[in-house]
Amino acid sequence: MERNDLKSMEDKTIDKLQEKPAQEKQIERLVVSSSPHFLRDENIHKIMHTVVLALLPAMAASVYFFGLRAAGLILVSVVSCLLTEYAVQKLREKPVTMWDGSAIITGILLALTLPPGFPYYAAALGSAFAIGIGKQLFGGLGYNIFNPALLGRAFLMATYPVLTTTWSEPLTKGVKAGVDAVSAATPLALMKFEGKMTSHLDMLFGNVAGSMGETSAIAILIGGLYLRYRGYINWKLPLGYLGSMAVFGGIFWLINPTKYPDPLFHILAGGAMLGAWFMVTDMVTSPVTPLGQWLFVICGGLLAVIIRLFGGLPEGVMYSILLMNAFVPLLDKHTRPKFFGEEM
Amino acid sequence: MNNVVTKMLLVLTVIGAVSGGILAGVFHVADPLIQANREKELKEAIFVVLPEAKDYKLLEKEVDKAKVIAYKGIDAEGKPVGLAFIADGGGFQGNIRVMVGLNIDYLKLKGIKVLEQNETPGLGNRIKETVFEGQFKNLEIKPKVEYIKYRKPEKPNQITAITGATISSDAVVKNINNAVEKVLKNFPQEEVLK
Amino acid sequence: MANNTLWHEFKKGLWQDIPPFRLVLGTCPTLAVTNSVINGIAMGMATLFVLLCANITVSAIRKIVPGQVRIAAYVVLIALYVTVADMFLAAMFPPISKALGPYVPLIVVNCIILARAEGFAQKNPIMPSVMDALGIGIGFTLSLAVMGLIREIFGFGSILDIKILGDWFEPWIVMILPAGAFFVFGFLVALVNYLSIKQKGKKTETVCH
Repeated sequence: MERNDLKSMEDKTIDKLQEKPAQEKQIERLVVSSSPHFLRDENIHKIMHTVVLALLPAMAASVYFFGLRAAGLILVSVVSCLLTEYAVQKLREKPVTMWDGSAIITGILLALTLPPGFPYYAAALGSAFAIGIGKQLFGGLGYNIFNPALLGRAFLMATYPVLTTTWSEPLTKGVKAGVDAVSAATPLALMKFEGKMTSHLDMLFGNVAGSMGETSAIAILIGGLYLRYRGYINWKLPLGYLGSMAVFGGIFWLINPTKYPDPLFHILAGGAMLGAWFMVTDMVTSPVTPLGQWLFVICGGLLAVIIRLFGGLPEGVMYSILLMNAFVPLLDKHTRPKFFGEEM
Repeated sequence: MNNVVTKMLLVLTVIGAVSGGILAGVFHVADPLIQANREKELKEAIFVVLPEAKDYKLLEKEVDKAKVIAYKGIDAEGKPVGLAFIADGGGFQGNIRVMVGLNIDYLKLKGIKVLEQNETPGLGNRIKETVFEGQFKNLEIKPKVEYIKYRKPEKPNQITAITGATISSDAVVKNINNAVEKVLKNFPQEEVLK
Repeated sequence: MANNTLWHEFKKGLWQDIPPFRLVLGTCPTLAVTNSVINGIAMGMATLFVLLCANITVSAIRKIVPGQVRIAAYVVLIALYVTVADMFLAAMFPPISKALGPYVPLIVVNCIILARAEGFAQKNPIMPSVMDALGIGIGFTLSLAVMGLIREIFGFGSILDIKILGDWFEPWIVMILPAGAFFVFGFLVALVNYLSIKQKGKKTETVCH
């Protein structure tokens, strides 16, 4: 917390309070929340727009590696998310909150998990599903059980299994623009089906085939660290998730280093980075208690590694997070700190 | 009291007996038809994988208390043209049953036909498309059938796996290899040619 | 008057008591076999046949069967009709029988049939029982056909195996997977509820059903 600002912030809030009628003032003063009781000049708007800012490096990397089409896909997804939010809220006769930024983030995150050659109409469909069914059907922001972007992605995976698994090499590998239909394998698929390893450096910078916003680990890391610096994410979640993947991946690696990939490969490959920094940390769909958070990320990382190494699919980050999302209410319920004297 | 028990027994016995009678009657009519349908299906599959065959003969052997079955395809002049057999095994979800046709030279496949599968629609279930099945025509079985990804086959014993459905393609290839091995062991060429 | 009641017994199965969406009965076949119109109709017809036979027999013997063994007796009868239906399909329509797989024998445990035998046929004469079976059976068939229609259009781009959407349409595979069945089922239940709320609102606000 920037303590210097606090004083002025507090003053500002008091000023605001004084303008209001007495009754309302009292209610605002009765807000109960957990300590520390600092007032911060923050709201959903600001948080969401900071997250968008943090996603900029990943978006830039996707355009750099996969061309302007990546930008087009992001735009289509975001517009489709906004329109769906507007349409559903109108239909339900609820106040329209399409500009609170959460729909924009869902759109960007969904687009970043898509293959670069993904058709625009399919991206629009996935975004509409993410917002319409994944979020608004549950009651809107704050009530959704699953991360909407991942739910949209899972829907697309089931709807268009071929399109969602057709990858192309990045432009930087000398593929001529316009000559698409050159299918390529992601590092995870190469590992799983052909036993080939990809260089860690290529995976760090993103010079590999894959979902357009997931390949560049370093761009995501920059955004994630910025969010951490601004204090919007709890370090337990991303580091715990990646750490759990590395530890469990490492155990198998130690058992048989020729068959299983090393821990670093696990956290650089596929959706691990994007998932850990931007999806595991989703405020709505992650637990609030520290113990619950630890269980959430450790089990999530273990699941992802198991799916990657022994499942039918090469990538397990998406399903691991969605599965753990389903456990969040349970985790929160059973890891709630006891009141003094309360019987369990 | 006794009366009620007798009535219960009587009613249930009558219902059971009548139901049994009706079932026996229906079975008597339907069973030949069901068997005929099965046989027709089998016949069609054999003639698909052994196109020159006009008739077939059942070959049966007992190995380790399990039956090994193959069908010898015979052409119009009565000469054997190849062996047909079923390759059965696990796929991505559930079993995959494939009818395999082996040329009488015991070196190449003549064709395959997927009989049953529960693979993902639009993805794994493309193993039953002619594009995929057709690749097995004239495929060499030695040393083993193999698959290759994203590229055209480079060797005469290779097929191209379905993009996005490696597991299903792999399962088909593996099942065929197992079945071919079993047939080569149990039905040697000279025995079949006789 | 008598005709009116018979008509009512028939009509209620089509909307007021439409099995999967209102009674939420028989959801297993509703979800499992409706990935095409023809499968839905075939399943519906097989169920209709079993339902009709079961209702007639149960109604006919309702005064003979002692209460203590009635469920056992009904189950034997239902199993009989299901086996007949299963063998008939396997003998005459092998492709449909193959597509429906184990779900035809599973009609035995379809709760619609026992529910109608227990809840209606054993208390009513034959004619109303026939009308009840026809209404519920046709309502069930229609429900499955609608489910199949929606799923086939989106999942294959066709109706009754006839392509209606051109090559531009990339089929939504999810619609022919179990997940798609749940989506469509959920939407249809919501739609039926929405329509009946609207209907009720129009009639009168004070009557409580």
